[in-house]
Amino acid sequence: MTDDELIAETRAFLAANWAPGRKSSGEAYGRHPDSDFLQRVLDAGFAVPTWPRESWGRGLSAAQGKLIEREFAAAGAPGAGQDRSNLWANTAAAHAQPDFRSHIVPLLLTGRVGMCLLYSEPGAGSDLAGVRTRADRDGDDYVINGQKVWTSGAADADYGMLICRTDWDVPKHKGLSFFFLPMQQPGIDVRPLRQITDEAHFNEVFITDARVPAANMLGKPGDGWRVLMTALAYERSVMGDAARGPRSGKAGPKGDAALVELAREAGMLEDPVVRQEIARVTAYKILNRLNNARAKADMAQGNSSPIMSLGKLAMSRILHSEAALRTRLLGPQSMLEGPQHPCAEDANFLTLNAYFTSIGGGTDQIQRNIIGERVLGLPKEPELDRELPFREVKAG
Amino acid sequence: MAIGADEMQAFLDGWQRLLAARCAEADVRRVMETPEGFDRALWGEIAALGITGLIVAPEHGGVGGGATELERVMEAAGAALLPSPLLSSGVLAAGLLGALGDAEAAARLLPGIADGSRIATVALTGPRARWIEDDVAVTAAPAGNGWQLDGAAAFVTHAEVADLLLVVARAPDGLGVFEVDPAAVATNALPAFDRTLRMADLTFAGTPATRLAGAIPAWEAVEAALDLARVAIAGEQAGGTRRVFEMTVDYAKARHQFGRAIGGFQAIKHMAADLLLESESCTSAARHAAERLAAGAEDAPQAIALAAFACADAFVHTTAQAIQMHGGIAFTWAHPAHLYLRRARADAQLFGTSDAYRERFVQALEQAR
Ligand SMILES: Cc1cc2nc3c(=O)[nH]c(=O)nc-3n(C[C@H](O)[C@H](O)[C@H](O)COP(=O)(O)OP(=O)(O)OC[C@H]3O[C@@H](n4cnc5c(N)ncnc54)[C@H](O)[C@@H]3O)c2cc1C
Repeated sequence: MTDDELIAETRAFLAANWAPGRKSSGEAYGRHPDSDFLQRVLDAGFAVPTWPRESWGRGLSAAQGKLIEREFAAAGAPGAGQDRSNLWANTAAAHAQPDFRSHIVPLLLTGRVGMCLLYSEPGAGSDLAGVRTRADRDGDDYVINGQKVWTSGAADADYGMLICRTDWDVPKHKGLSFFFLPMQQPGIDVRPLRQITDEAHFNEVFITDARVPAANMLGKPGDGWRVLMTALAYERSVMGDAARGPRSGKAGPKGDAALVELAREAGMLEDPVVRQEIARVTAYKILNRLNNARAKADMAQGNSSPIMSLGKLAMSRILHSEAALRTRLLGPQSMLEGPQHPCAEDANFLTLNAYFTSIGGGTDQIQRNIIGERVLGLPKEPELDRELPFREVKAG
Repeated sequence: MAIGADEMQAFLDGWQRLLAARCAEADVRRVMETPEGFDRALWGEIAALGITGLIVAPEHGGVGGGATELERVMEAAGAALLPSPLLSSGVLAAGLLGALGDAEAAARLLPGIADGSRIATVALTGPRARWIEDDVAVTAAPAGNGWQLDGAAAFVTHAEVADLLLVVARAPDGLGVFEVDPAAVATNALPAFDRTLRMADLTFAGTPATRLAGAIPAWEAVEAALDLARVAIAGEQAGGTRRVFEMTVDYAKARHQFGRAIGGFQAIKHMAADLLLESESCTSAARHAAERLAAGAEDAPQAIALAAFACADAFVHTTAQAIQMHGGIAFTWAHPAHLYLRRARADAQLFGTSDAYRERFVQALEQAR
């Protein structure tokens, strides 16, 4: 199929199925409000076009996939490009056992299941391979016991992507397994945690004798770390591409000139210090976008790109410095909060929520270690407990 | 200095004991959720210790301390995140009455401020909120035996709990300071991101007022009071910065990942070393400003401007880094780091921004050559 044919087909699909100007509120923890539309996107082969035909895709090149995404973006329609952005579906498609895979992947691609990430534990955050939640085989099931923490979206989730330990006699990275754990069962107790943003998206999850069919394991017993690396790579690449915006509900200016507009509204546009800062922060944003575009182009050529690892770190810097600039624009107004003060509400929320990106999904410090060690090939930091049987590793 | 060094140390020890006993984190959290935003019982004890009258002259029932004592007291208050109208009443209002030179008003009003029975605050900036003379947006006109005020004042700290309002307003013959009954003023409480802070916008419409006599021009008296407030905030910032820094270093020693304390990773170790530099510089700036102000030194404005932006930036930066260095635990409401971040962000705005103080500082340098 030529590019022009593909574009024409995509446009015809959108014209038939997505009313001009219709808005979509987007995916949240796996669920999508437009799942009926997403079903049509999936059936038409636009959800994951670079996947093979026998796996919901059309075997297109990344470059052609990009064309479809562009048409969807222009129409404001959701559901394309999930081969890059849907961390749940990508992880399941790559590692789930055949029956579970054909059951779960379409549900994930149509936003029909609530999802959460059961990775972090009180003693295992950056050191994820140190998790102590255990899975013990019992007939066709595994029985899960342990505690997870900072689990975003756990309260409404149908499944949690769980990393836990199945073998205590091998070194820490080797004894892990990865499951799709059904969340709606008696052994799972989700307790919301109040965040510094005064929201409660993340939770503590106490797991006591919860059961998961062995068929829900991704990879083989002991493959957990490898599966996790796939999932984390998708999560980080998504975090490097976009972040949650303001929550005041006020749309606010968009695009490269957004900060200029905000400064104008604040009456600060003539301030030379502000102008310098607008330049600095806007440049960070544009350069991250250009970096990501180059990385995607390399990937489309089938080459891996070191730039892929930079996006999340770049986004962290963007978010923290944009929040600081918004604060500067507001001056004393930034002391306020609440719906009557939407600009202050936004500046303060963005200041706090920037840590979602600089801590969540692996901290900036860990991200720098990864870039140094895996991308640049610098010597690894010595890890004292890396080769010990996990049974002998002291709890964090 | 009216107080000897030993006496001062004993005084500070008593203050720190009171804060440790009555203003622990749990107390701060409880009090910040109350409408008044401070603990009246504790306020009584703060007053009994002499803190509310620290900078009030002994003949008006105060301790007769100056900027250096004030700065030290505020370091402890900042470390404890004390929610109270101390800055509004015991610093700004007391400082303004002390500087203005209206003997009758001072004798009548300062004893109540000193013994804590009267909470006062100062309305001085209009909506542009730069705390500069140009921004005063209340006008005063003679009315009968007294005056009446019209206009607006913004970000008036603790206005809602004040028994006494001192309002800076433009009279036909120039700027003046006016005594106003807070009950006569329309008060719009402002929801503050720093939940330990209370602020309001005030609207005056034919509001009756009494003009205070001034031995010096009103804005000079305001600047004198603001200088004390700047030094007080710098002290609060120094104390808050140090407490958050220490909390973070303690955590870096206690929290283990990858089989060792996270402080063992150079990323964290280097951040901690940088924060020590921030924290010590913040303390030096605050104490230096206090000393120069207390000495009436010619370079006091320069030292105060320096402290105003250096301490503001150090506190904001340190609290921000502290959250990063703690990881997920500091993203929870239950962890104190964000309470300090909120205070740091308010302190960085009160009575002028860092940008404005950097400008003032350079101007002072220019004049000094
Ligand atoms: C908003 C938010 C949402 C989250 N959502 C989820 C979720 O849905 N599911 C989930 O499983 N987790 C979630 N997390 C958890 C997140 O992944 C962890 O917080 C993160 O990985 C850090 O772990 P930690 O909090 O235990 O901090 P720690 O690992 O204890 O780190 C503390 C500090 O030490 C530093 N550090 C640690 N190791 C090193 C090292 N080797 N070198 C240098 N510095 C180091 C860190 O950078 C950090 O500054 C979320 C976190 C946040 C803030």
